[in-house]
Amino acid sequence: MALPRAIADYESVTGWAQGLRDQWGGDPLAEEPEKLEALAAFCDFIGKDPDELLAYCFLRRKATGERFGSVKRREEVARQLRAFRDRSGLEGMPARKLVNDVLSFLIHGGVLIHPGMI
Amino acid sequence: MELKEVLGIRRSIRFFDPERPVEREKIQKILEAMRIASCAVNAHWLRAVVVNRSEIPPETLEQLKVPVAALVQELAPIHIYCYLDTGVVNRVKGSRLKELVDVGALAPTHGWSHKFVDEFVYPQVLEPLTKDPAYPIAAAFDCGGAGTQGLLVAFDEGLGACWTAFGPEPVKKMLSIPDEWIPLYVMNVGSPLESPDAGGQRPRPDFEELYFEGSANTPFSRDPAVVKELEAEKLFTPPATSPNPERMKEIRALARKLGLPE
Repeated sequence: MALPRAIADYESVTGWAQGLRDQWGGDPLAEEPEKLEALAAFCDFIGKDPDELLAYCFLRRKATGERFGSVKRREEVARQLRAFRDRSGLEGMPARKLVNDVLSFLIHGGVLIHPGMI
Repeated sequence: MELKEVLGIRRSIRFFDPERPVEREKIQKILEAMRIASCAVNAHWLRAVVVNRSEIPPETLEQLKVPVAALVQELAPIHIYCYLDTGVVNRVKGSRLKELVDVGALAPTHGWSHKFVDEFVYPQVLEPLTKDPAYPIAAAFDCGGAGTQGLLVAFDEGLGACWTAFGPEPVKKMLSIPDEWIPLYVMNVGSPLESPDAGGQRPRPDFEELYFEGSANTPFSRDPAVVKELEAEKLFTPPATSPNPERMKEIRALARKLGLPE
């Protein structure tokens, strides 16, 4: 799925960029373009844009409308990430880096998927 | 190290060298420190089971990890699973109190005798206490004190450690934990990969917010001269600050060394 606009323009991605700048200083997305490339490739793989991916990890309680992180959906994204990594053909550290770049996007968006799950 | 210095250097260490084993004697010292802790009615509720992480079946390791502690549990070479043995009071039936009477720790000056234990303390206080819903809370306080002594010894021995929660069911099965043991926390132990100051002494609530004098409405007045003295004795070490580029650099380097997300 080709994204209809530049990946850096998505709200969730600007939030990620800000989170990385606040955490590490500099501008990690500009300095390491492979981070955005990894996210774009994963979005393409699962057929969701970054905002949709992040939103998918949360649900709302019917009774109160309260937003909460969905364990099942988090597990589903972890499964998709495993499949994405396996299809990449990468192994060892490069494979881990690919996964970690997507995990970083999720973590800075408030979704914890532990690397050990992948 | 002096006690206050150990208190001053203790941090919850979350980055361990996953491959570096912990010397068995150091683990024993941690347990020995737990054993001599202060304990109400000399009951000793704390039970601790030491496990080499590398010996935990991978499937069980995955199941016992809890989300925010998963990495700590994955990296720490030693896990010390701590439990509260709820059955101990009704097994020892005051006998450990009588030991304290025999050695003069508890004396008639304070109302203690074997008969007092047998005819009053155990049947009228301790045994009923074990049926009180608040019983595990009181006992957990003692377990926390004992565990903390072990934690401090870990740091005195040059190790790092961090308490975390764990998934109780897989661990219960793996370690044959009796039903009457209540799961508490696991002490994750190993050689720290972080620098000794690990970013500095962690932020804490104001002293006056926590401690009071005479009534719960009157904060305990903090004497700056005492604070200065404790600084000299290294109970206080340089505080963690934000921003702290050096600490961020350290974490980033660890993330890259260990292959972790940033």
